[in-house]
Amino acid sequence: MFDAAFLRKLEHLRLVSARAFAGRDRADRLTDKRGRGLEFADHRQYAPGDDIRHIDWKAYKRLNRLLLRLFDEEQDLPVYLFLDASRSMAGDGKFDQARRIAASLCYIGLVHFDRVTILPFRNGLAREIAPGRGRGRIFQVFDTLAAMEADGGTDLGQSIRQFASRTFRRGLAIVLSDFFDTSGVEAGLKMLSSLGHDLLVVQVFSPRECDVDVLGEVRFVDAESGEHIDLDVTPGVARAYREAWVRHAEAIEAFCRRYRVPYLRASAADPFEEIVLRTFREGGFIE
Amino acid sequence: MTFGALAAWQAWLLVLGAGLAAWWLFRMKVRPPRLAVPSLLLWRRVLDDRSAPSWWDRVRRAVSLAVTVLVAASLGMAVARPAPRAATGTEGRLLIVLDASWSMRARTADGQTRWARAVAGARALAQAAGGDVALATTADGLVEGPTADSALIATALDRLEPSGGEAAAWPRVEGVAVTHFFTDGALLRPVEPGTIVHSVFSPAPNIAINAFSARPGTSSAAGPSAYLEIANYADEPQRVHVTVTRAATVIVDRWMDLGPAGVAHEVLPLDATGGGTLRARVSAEANALDVDDEAVAWLAGGDPISVAVVTPEPDAWSSLFAGDPTVRASVVSPSGYEGAAADVFIFDRWAPTNAPGRPALYLAPPAVGWLARPVESEVTPAWGTSDWHPILEGVDPFTLDIARAWRYEGPSLQPVAESARGTPLVSLLEAPDARGVLVAFSPAESNLTSAQAFPVLVGNVLDWLARPAAGDPRAPGPVDLPASTTRVTSPDGASVPLVRAGDRVLATLRAPGLYLVEAGGARSVIGVNIGNPAIANLSRTTLEPDVAAARVPAGVHRAWWFYLAGLAFVLVAAEWWTWQRRITV
Repeated sequence: MFDAAFLRKLEHLRLVSARAFAGRDRADRLTDKRGRGLEFADHRQYAPGDDIRHIDWKAYKRLNRLLLRLFDEEQDLPVYLFLDASRSMAGDGKFDQARRIAASLCYIGLVHFDRVTILPFRNGLAREIAPGRGRGRIFQVFDTLAAMEADGGTDLGQSIRQFASRTFRRGLAIVLSDFFDTSGVEAGLKMLSSLGHDLLVVQVFSPRECDVDVLGEVRFVDAESGEHIDLDVTPGVARAYREAWVRHAEAIEAFCRRYRVPYLRASAADPFEEIVLRTFREGGFIE
Repeated sequence: MTFGALAAWQAWLLVLGAGLAAWWLFRMKVRPPRLAVPSLLLWRRVLDDRSAPSWWDRVRRAVSLAVTVLVAASLGMAVARPAPRAATGTEGRLLIVLDASWSMRARTADGQTRWARAVAGARALAQAAGGDVALATTADGLVEGPTADSALIATALDRLEPSGGEAAAWPRVEGVAVTHFFTDGALLRPVEPGTIVHSVFSPAPNIAINAFSARPGTSSAAGPSAYLEIANYADEPQRVHVTVTRAATVIVDRWMDLGPAGVAHEVLPLDATGGGTLRARVSAEANALDVDDEAVAWLAGGDPISVAVVTPEPDAWSSLFAGDPTVRASVVSPSGYEGAAADVFIFDRWAPTNAPGRPALYLAPPAVGWLARPVESEVTPAWGTSDWHPILEGVDPFTLDIARAWRYEGPSLQPVAESARGTPLVSLLEAPDARGVLVAFSPAESNLTSAQAFPVLVGNVLDWLARPAAGDPRAPGPVDLPASTTRVTSPDGASVPLVRAGDRVLATLRAPGLYLVEAGGARSVIGVNIGNPAIANLSRTTLEPDVAAARVPAGVHRAWWFYLAGLAFVLVAAEWWTWQRRITV
């Protein structure tokens, strides 16, 4: 899976990201986030010429003095990759695509952001992959991702709750999933956002699941639960399914738009490097 | 509607059962193929949206169910073989009689034969009949039925052929409500009152041999000859090709012109020898009937017979057959009998210990168990009464001086001439395996060999023994044969059924040609010719002008079951085509 061709493309992404991020120091990027992602250190007396955005107005109200808030500059930005490893991802190359994207983002992150954590989830959080610092750890990531299997059900909400119960610094959360969650995905995404993380949603899909290429009496079997339904697939039914899938994807996109969460749809048939570049654009890392 | 294969209630029960079975199978869910999908989330939404079938789904389902049931019902109905009730005027038993005269083989202007038209009309009637149907012909009488199974009638119609029977009686069937008679009216035939007559007549030109016979020569000056009569039953003059053969030799091969309704007669001189079988053939362009284009005749004496005389006095017999070209004689002593072979034997005062297997003349034979034994004698018997018999034809008994005659007793002897005191003088032996004439007096005790009656008697005896059934060719029909007849072979090699009635044997010679008659080891030939102007003249009919022409359904006439099966096939094909396109379920 992570063969020589993949590594060449990965190197190309690194060069692209290097050009995109050059001239923008971490602080610029950090301060763009309006305080989110920065740690408060101390107060000092306001002096004329200081940035009035950092005046602590609560302290002024309390003490009747103008005080300036001082911050510690962040050395790194945590990136959390939530990777859907449920059985619904298993078919048609979706899981492979998601793993490639996760590996690519992890590598880029190790190059630029230093700290990336891959969080596989199913009915709950699975064992995380935290390679530490340095891009030399990437092959460890590759091995772990290659050995991972798509199995079990999907419960994004439960997984986020488990994530929330742990102590994680606020950072960038990228959710890679097909979002076939019977419990609903909005609650989980909202929770993730409310935790203070910058959220980016990548819906992975396969061209086959958007359409129906079979007609007649068919027994559809759920890959995760094993349940089945019998249906007489007519052209009308096939059309209804296609429309249902589009509504499903648009619903997620509309939710993300409403909460100003960057969203992109990634086909398993598309080259993963293009998806990664789109991720950079959606994430605001490149113009 | 009627059903040919089942009773009405059975047929409807079958149709109903087939429909119910089709409905049940349609309702049964067939295990569909499995398809694994990432999630049923979206499919459940689709299902929820479509929880109530649209009217179009209902229509599709209803149409599919209706077509399936219709296919099953069509097949069930086809098995039951329905047929429409006919307007035959009655529900009772129907008798269909076909005229099997030879003229029915005539080809009409449209290329069909009259017989084919009659069969087509009979078939339509039989299929449309509401009750039992009986089928008969004027030649064979009742051939099928009465039966409600139209298939049996159809099969019988397929195998029947016109085979003469002009003289046959009208067929009688019990309980017939209506009779239909298909005929061309060539022969005037009385029919039962109330019979519905259907005409298949249409005029046609024809060339026919009306007469053909052969006569042996009566003297050295008047040799054998053949008589031939040919007629042209056409409105136009015709050029006719005539051939006459004797055995393998062509004796006539020429063309002649005959005017419309013209008749040609000809007497053909024949050689004394050359075979007995004569055939005449004619052909012309406008010739609708084939059975009268060939005729046969048998020239008695045309084939010499071999005679072996077994006698202790050969000299007395040596000159008897000299000069008779119709006899090849050999004279042997009793010691030379074992190696003798002949068509007829003459045993003079001797008889073999076993029957000779050939017809024989016995002159005062000694006692042998298989033949007869002399029990007493009559001295100087006077010729008394005698029944007429061909062997006594021309025999003057007053030229015979008999010193002693013996009374023979035997199981199969039939006296044809007796003395005044009742002693059988000439007896016939006629049993299925033996044929003979026994003369009760010997040449030694009479003037037999020197009497004028002797050669006549011997000649008659040879004719009777060797040619048990001879004579001019006759028309098809029944023939009376000697009681010793064991077999009659038709021209096509089949055995003709024999009916024994007392001392007679009856056979019906139906087809034209030469028949071989075997009787007691003797063989002879009977010729049968059509030769009947009433049959050959295809331009006339005895039917009244108001007799309706037989209605023959146009086009291909098939039973309903055929169309029902075709409908089922078409529906299956249509259902498959629409199912492939998800138009039906």
